[in-house]
Amino acid sequence: MDNAKLKNRLKYGAIWGFIAFELIFFTVAGEYLSLSDKVFLDLDNMMLLFKQSAPIGIIALGMTIIMINGNIDLSVGATFALSAIVLLDSMTWPVFAGLGDWVIPVSWLLALLTGVVLGAVNGLIVWKTGVDAFIVTLGSMLGYRGLVFMYHGEQPTSHLNWTLVDFAEASFLGIHTPTWFLLAVAVAMWFLMTRTVHGRNAYAVGDNREAAVNAGIRVGPHILVNFMLIGFLAALSAVVFYSESGSVNPNDGELYELWAITAVVLGGTKLTGGSGSIVSTFGGVIAIQLLRKGLGHIGADTETVNLVIGVILIAVLFLDRQLNIKGREELKT
Amino acid sequence: MTIRTMLTVTTAIAGLAMASAAGAAEYKIGITQNNVGVDSYQTTYEKAFIEAADANSDVEAVVLDAGGDVARQIAQIEDLIQQDVNAIIIWPTNGEAVIPAVRKASKAGIPVVVTNSNIAEAGFPFVKAFSGPDNITQGSRAAEIMCDKFKSMGIDKTAQIVQISGQPGYTTAIERAKGFEDRLPQVCPDVKLVETQPGDWNREKSQKVMEAFLVKYDKIDGVYAGDDNMGVGALNAAKAAGRDGIIFVGATNFAVGYEAMERGEYWGSIYQSPVDDAKAALKTAVDILEGKDVPFFNYFDTPKITQDNMKDFTKPVF
Repeated sequence: MDNAKLKNRLKYGAIWGFIAFELIFFTVAGEYLSLSDKVFLDLDNMMLLFKQSAPIGIIALGMTIIMINGNIDLSVGATFALSAIVLLDSMTWPVFAGLGDWVIPVSWLLALLTGVVLGAVNGLIVWKTGVDAFIVTLGSMLGYRGLVFMYHGEQPTSHLNWTLVDFAEASFLGIHTPTWFLLAVAVAMWFLMTRTVHGRNAYAVGDNREAAVNAGIRVGPHILVNFMLIGFLAALSAVVFYSESGSVNPNDGELYELWAITAVVLGGTKLTGGSGSIVSTFGGVIAIQLLRKGLGHIGADTETVNLVIGVILIAVLFLDRQLNIKGREELKT
Repeated sequence: MTIRTMLTVTTAIAGLAMASAAGAAEYKIGITQNNVGVDSYQTTYEKAFIEAADANSDVEAVVLDAGGDVARQIAQIEDLIQQDVNAIIIWPTNGEAVIPAVRKASKAGIPVVVTNSNIAEAGFPFVKAFSGPDNITQGSRAAEIMCDKFKSMGIDKTAQIVQISGQPGYTTAIERAKGFEDRLPQVCPDVKLVETQPGDWNREKSQKVMEAFLVKYDKIDGVYAGDDNMGVGALNAAKAAGRDGIIFVGATNFAVGYEAMERGEYWGSIYQSPVDDAKAALKTAVDILEGKDVPFFNYFDTPKITQDNMKDFTKPVF
């Protein structure tokens, strides 16, 4: 029993150890290599870290519940881009011309609705056809991206609304707007996963779907709700980010699905489902952004990020496997 | 454990901060590029920029790459502001999405130089200067190349030409067409531009456009294309139709155009070097920091290249 606890601690604690290592490394290396007179751990820099983690972070938090379910969603990047287009384009629709700046909340709602609908399409197909979520969302990733390109061709969709930008750039209690969203989502997801029936069911479905069905969990609707949730979060991520930037390239959000999955896996969530933690995913998100930021801080080639993250990812999976093998051996004796 | 490490870290910082006297160079300049590695123009640009920065002892450069991701570019601008660099050079991933980030830099009192492709006009108040190629000049020089060639052939009184322009809506496409259309009547008033169609920067599309031109017009003496990629597409159509003697001129020299020039099938273009582009961006930033009077638009020279003088130029890397 104690052993299992230790195992879990190791698994979910590894990411925090890695973050601590990054902080120390970049602080020390920054003193020698950085052109900046400011230390890496400067409070403003750390606040920026959270803010910059928001776009992928919000998606990764949703991805955690999908992966705990034993599913995966590859279409989040395309959903992100499509919601962003709806957000920015709807602000210029003649229907809303009379609303003035009140068009902003309307556009937000439309964008979020787009995400929920796209997620629901994924969820329904997975539920009703029984096709693996990997295949379904691979298809919808291409399909949704196709819609993005159909909207404006290769051209960016733009609408710069300074009221919106000022809101997005503002900070309340010293914390940037996007950070508030990231934290709110993290707390809500943590509550969902640890304190509600839906959260407990998510683990059960991922651990053993048969058993979950036998236990009376309606697996289909459960999965549908989760896909709607991640669609919503992908759209929320777009709302938070594009409120501050006002223009979408048609290839925006590409590879976001992989970064989100990377963050989730770094946090120790199992690809096969049944185990995982929101808090650790949050750690995974921070670790990735920290790495990008840190390498920029010490003036290293930004492309090194990919190499380092790849190595860490394999190390985490290796660690996970070793811990699991140990556990199984333990059972036999 | 984390608390202990934090303590160690803080003491380490305190110690180091006192020990180090950072900042030997006068100017700290940060650059965030669009997408290094996606094409060789950008790769060569980065290399040239780093070399130029190394060569200037007054400059220390933080060289970043956004990897084509707007979110990453915005984060990089925020980081550079946070690091208190003296100037920021930006190659926008999206000419509009970066405007709020550029405004942040401007609010922080950091001069911003836009390089290669300009940001949208809404962002001009927050930018000190633009450094890059002048597309109008490229267009008008292409007109001169074509006119000179017609004169040497003795057909400048009768020639008929067609134009294949870049993607509609792109400033680059509009400017290259305008430069050509304004300059041509000045140098060769009798040359007639019979039709213009967009080729969307795409070789296959341009080939189709040219096929249609060849069917429609029996007499075509010259083709002007917004870049060599489209020009070579048009050339392929002419070769397939067996129409010889057409003079092809582009507005930016690509490797495919250079090779066609070597084969004697393509007459000329405008040479745009990523090395000059990078050097110009750095120089603009340094000039601003030195307090020199810098115009808003800083163009680097893009010379004419034809079959006659192509030996003076190395083959473009893109």
